[in-house]
Amino acid sequence: MAKTFPIGGIHPADKKISRDSAIVALPLPPVVYISMCQHIGAPAVPVVTVGQKVRTGEVIAEPGGFVSAYIHSSVTGIVKSIAPRADITGKMVPHIEIETMPDEWVDTVDLSTKIACHIPDDPAAIVEAVKQAGVVGLGGATFPTHVKLTPPPGKVAEYLILNGTECEPYLTSDNRIMVERAEEIVVGAWIINRVLGKQCRCFIGIEENKPDAIEAIKKAIGRLNILSGGIYEIEVVALKKKYPQGGEKQLIRTITGREVKSMALPIDSGAVVQNVATALAVYEAVMKHKPLTTNTLTVTGDCLDDAFQRNYLFRIGTPISFVIDQIGGVPENAAKVISGGPMMGKAVSNLDATLVKGSSAILFLTESQTRRPKETVCIRCGKCADACPMGLEPFLLYRLANAANLEELEKYSVQDCIECGCCLYTCPAGLPLLDKIRLAKADVLGAIRSRKK
Amino acid sequence: MKKLLVSPSPHIHSSVSTKTIMRDVVIALAPAVICAFLFYGWYSLAVMVVSVAASIAIEWAVAKWLLKSPDTPCLWASAVTGLLLALSLPPSIPLWIVLIGDLFAIGVVKMTFGGLGQNIFNPAIAARVFLLISFPVQMTDWTVCGGIISPVDDITGATLLGVMSEGGDVMALSSLDLGRTFFYNIGGSAGEISALAFLLGFAYLLIRKVITPLIPLTILGTAFIFGWIFFAIDPTQYVNPFINILAGGMLLGSIFMATDYVTSPMSESGCVIYGVGIGLITMLIRYFGAYPEGISFAILFMNALVPLIDRACHRKKFGRT
Repeated sequence: MAKTFPIGGIHPADKKISRDSAIVALPLPPVVYISMCQHIGAPAVPVVTVGQKVRTGEVIAEPGGFVSAYIHSSVTGIVKSIAPRADITGKMVPHIEIETMPDEWVDTVDLSTKIACHIPDDPAAIVEAVKQAGVVGLGGATFPTHVKLTPPPGKVAEYLILNGTECEPYLTSDNRIMVERAEEIVVGAWIINRVLGKQCRCFIGIEENKPDAIEAIKKAIGRLNILSGGIYEIEVVALKKKYPQGGEKQLIRTITGREVKSMALPIDSGAVVQNVATALAVYEAVMKHKPLTTNTLTVTGDCLDDAFQRNYLFRIGTPISFVIDQIGGVPENAAKVISGGPMMGKAVSNLDATLVKGSSAILFLTESQTRRPKETVCIRCGKCADACPMGLEPFLLYRLANAANLEELEKYSVQDCIECGCCLYTCPAGLPLLDKIRLAKADVLGAIRSRKK
Repeated sequence: MKKLLVSPSPHIHSSVSTKTIMRDVVIALAPAVICAFLFYGWYSLAVMVVSVAASIAIEWAVAKWLLKSPDTPCLWASAVTGLLLALSLPPSIPLWIVLIGDLFAIGVVKMTFGGLGQNIFNPAIAARVFLLISFPVQMTDWTVCGGIISPVDDITGATLLGVMSEGGDVMALSSLDLGRTFFYNIGGSAGEISALAFLLGFAYLLIRKVITPLIPLTILGTAFIFGWIFFAIDPTQYVNPFINILAGGMLLGSIFMATDYVTSPMSESGCVIYGVGIGLITMLIRYFGAYPEGISFAILFMNALVPLIDRACHRKKFGRT
């Protein structure tokens, strides 16, 4: 019996059109623009100069603070400029422009495809390797992984949960890496587990709609256990298809039965969640000394020709326009280009923006698929509250947000909103529930933070 | 290059809208409408058509002419009100009374409070009670006019609840064929003929996820337990509790009127309080009140308490104990 979380959730159409499309490498773009803001936290600080030649995998920027990450060149080439440039939302952030030439990898990287499974014993060395490789969480939040692997003093991880749910419609990149690179992911999971300690139990949660991935991961665990004499104690958990099953708190609740308290971190409940793509990056960082310079990108949409439904291995810094050129341009009737999934992805306002570590998909939606319905009035149907996976009352928060009543907003837990979009998706009156709640949440969080000082 | 749409997430939307929900309610009422037509004939069909048309026209007129609203009101919602009112009136009700009822339901109960989503009381029930108090003779005239099919051996002219209220032969009522009462039960409002018709509609609403079973089940459960206790104490004075569920407006009220989104609570715990309240008040009126039927009064009374219930009851939040 597949497990799931108990409150809320919705069932949008699955639309995994590109699920069987094997990962192919995106051609080398003539020029890349590598952003300094590819992670949560302080922007990275460039350590290269204009005119300098960099090799693939070479550090080009260092962490700008404790919560920050190294950034490496994804190509070999000449640094042409270091200047602000618009990201997908139009925000100006520093980018390093590199004109590319044929690949020349840094010497330390092991480019062989042979599975390496002799995990180092020293947790500190592993964390350092992860940090040096610039690994960040690839499930969406892009939180620097080495920070997450160092639980605060007094906190013990009892559960490591690998997130292979991929609960957003359309997205298939996690499915593909689980099918094609299952053993590397399993080794990566076990590396993380070793860092977290012997008491930590390891699970991989995958939604039922990905039977190939479940099968591949189970087989990989079996094979690795034959090779290693049975060290991989990892349980694959099939999960019901329900959005947002991949939400961190929902996944922890599903697998451990524990609820992460309001405003608390997963580690406070003894859980650490890592995306499967992050586990793959950790594997490459620790076992192959390969920094995070590539990731997998789903290119999909109902309006896109079947031949162009792709899963690409891309280099960070590749312009979105270059990806779109590979599929013959923006499909004729596409009205919106989304970076990520249709529930939590960001609408791209600028096709010259570039891919970052956390990019997972380029999705094309038509006008009729994405146009918001006309706003009418709240009929108090309560469907938003039924859909909310945090048990909040969006109709009430919406009203309070319109009244800018911060006190009541906090009382009714607007700060616990995970911005999954279930309320807005569900509202039969077409009210912009999440739009207003998101703004109110930022205000309330600001008030809470200033109070703590 | 054409311009791209840019907006915050989510980028897709469910196809369920206020319009489709209200349309589903009308579809769910279809079995009851068909029963009314079969048993009470063309006149009851005329009552329903007039009531629906008048409700739509009145809402349109108030919104567009009086309030000068730029938006078109949801006409399916006004159709639901018109249909529910028609189904809760006696089959031989004069059409001019129906029109007064629609005017009161839409014009006074709904639009003066701000229209759809704003009214405190369920418009159809408020109008029914208004008519009952204003036109007591016509509103309790249960004369049966020519139906398309005419079942034999009926209690014509008197309702089950009327017999109970006037101290009729309770033992005879309890020995009524419950199976037959389930399929049809002549005597009562136009829409109260068939329990089966309502349960079909109920099933449709549940499948389409228009309502949850919480409110109907708490109302029916409360009424059943209440009736069962009295029946257990003295079966010569009180009827079999199944009669309480099947007779009168119990099913119409609990499935279609008490579940009205606008006038019912927003939390599960609130819905339980609301449902128990309606069940209890209905039975108190039926057993101890002056009127034979009390579900309309019970729903109106609990409607008035909904804002208070909503202040007190909230959903269980994730990560808070």
